[in-house]
Amino acid sequence: MSRGGSFFMLVVSLAAALVLQLVELPDAVAALRPLWLAMTLGYWALSSTSQPILPLAWLTGLCCDVLYDAPLGQHALGLVTVVYAVRKLRGTLIVFPLWQATLLLAPVWALYVFLMFWIDGLSDHPADLAARWLPLLTTTLLWPLAATLLSGLSARRSHRRAVLP
Amino acid sequence: MLWRIWAPQAPGVSRGSDRFLNTIAEASRKPLFPRGPALGLKFLLFAALSIALMVADTHGERLQPLRQWASWALQPVLWAADLPREVAELAQHFRSRESLIAENEKLKRQQLELQGRLLRMESLEAENERIRALLASATTLDRRVLIAEILAIDQDPYRHQIVLNKGSRDGVYKGQALVDAGGILGQVIQVNPSTSVALLITDPDHGIPVEVNRTGLQTVALGRGDGQALSLPYLPGNADVKVGDLLVSSGLGGRFPAGYPVATVHELRHPAGESFMEAIAYPTARLDQGRQALLVWNERPPPAAELAPQPPPVAQAKAKAKPRSPARAKETSREPRR
Repeated sequence: MSRGGSFFMLVVSLAAALVLQLVELPDAVAALRPLWLAMTLGYWALSSTSQPILPLAWLTGLCCDVLYDAPLGQHALGLVTVVYAVRKLRGTLIVFPLWQATLLLAPVWALYVFLMFWIDGLSDHPADLAARWLPLLTTTLLWPLAATLLSGLSARRSHRRAVLP
Repeated sequence: MLWRIWAPQAPGVSRGSDRFLNTIAEASRKPLFPRGPALGLKFLLFAALSIALMVADTHGERLQPLRQWASWALQPVLWAADLPREVAELAQHFRSRESLIAENEKLKRQQLELQGRLLRMESLEAENERIRALLASATTLDRRVLIAEILAIDQDPYRHQIVLNKGSRDGVYKGQALVDAGGILGQVIQVNPSTSVALLITDPDHGIPVEVNRTGLQTVALGRGDGQALSLPYLPGNADVKVGDLLVSSGLGGRFPAGYPVATVHELRHPAGESFMEAIAYPTARLDQGRQALLVWNERPPPAAELAPQPPPVAQAKAKAKPRSPARAKETSREPRR
């Protein structure tokens, strides 16, 4: 029962992340846009083991590719890698306090950024190296906030479900 | 953690599992190894699938139907991402009467002015028609156009693309030129049923055949990828180009209509030891400001060129003229990816 509830939350949060990834930002801060999708999928990979995160990450990545008009599979590969890495680190991450987990997750985001950069290079898309790494900074800074928010939301929802018959 | 895994749960206590002397029902029993050894395998599977898709997508058009179908299905996401702008525009409904009147006045003046210019233009057009008839050429100046709205969708900041709200239902075709009030914006590279994606002329993948309006010198303008400027790398060292010269589309290659302004020359560079001169030009179109763009139907949409893009003559000539960088010259003739 609670699985169904948190699956709903999972899908809703992924859709929201996809929209946030696309929403127009002023040019000055556009390069700072955090990796919303990677962050959301990272949270769910960390917090729940019973969800089919890997296939969902792949599908979301494909959606992202279609919306960005990138080679099909680019973001899919990146997001699947993020989920795999977070799952592998899960044992360490859940016992760490939040700030240490935040630091430990930075290399995961870096891996994602590097993959995107690399595939862009392979597919003849010159990339500005300096601006590439900016999302890494904002994602790391926003992670504690996003993780707290998501866990708060899903806890509230499962609590309500438990109380109601 | 372990106690939680084995803790009996209320919903399914002892249902049909008595013979194992276990009070937890099979359905609510959680696996002892929640991560499972299959995670790595699954990851490899999905990664391989992604890589195969990428290879198939970059080497051919076979995945086009899938992409179009998916972008049709993802339409709601685009609308949702566009919502903040819609809301911001709602606020504009409540504008003061004075500002509306002022704007109306301004538009009326502008219309009068343009009307005057148009009158002159009509006579010029007639003259042009007669002269062209003498030359037995089939080009005309007026063209079918369609106003498209630019959706407020940020694409990848490293690609200069915009999303338009018109698609194949409105007759948009791949390779169609896109202009705004100032000049040429770019061209359509991906057509979906009700949206389309256009590549701006500042994208490093984009090349457009231009001529210097003052002298008629033909060359190619490439995007520099910084979102602001175009570069003209194939100018002979003694070319007659000055700062401030207007570059207009030359129509070579058949993709862009001829005669639209493209950019003005901003800076000339003579790299030491090179026999070529490079010019940096700023687009006349307002690439990052407008909300509307005009889709222009070329008088002879080149179906053959669509299927197998022919390098424009200029690019070919330049490739011969500058053997030291054949790859870059080829780039200009190449159709932008997909």
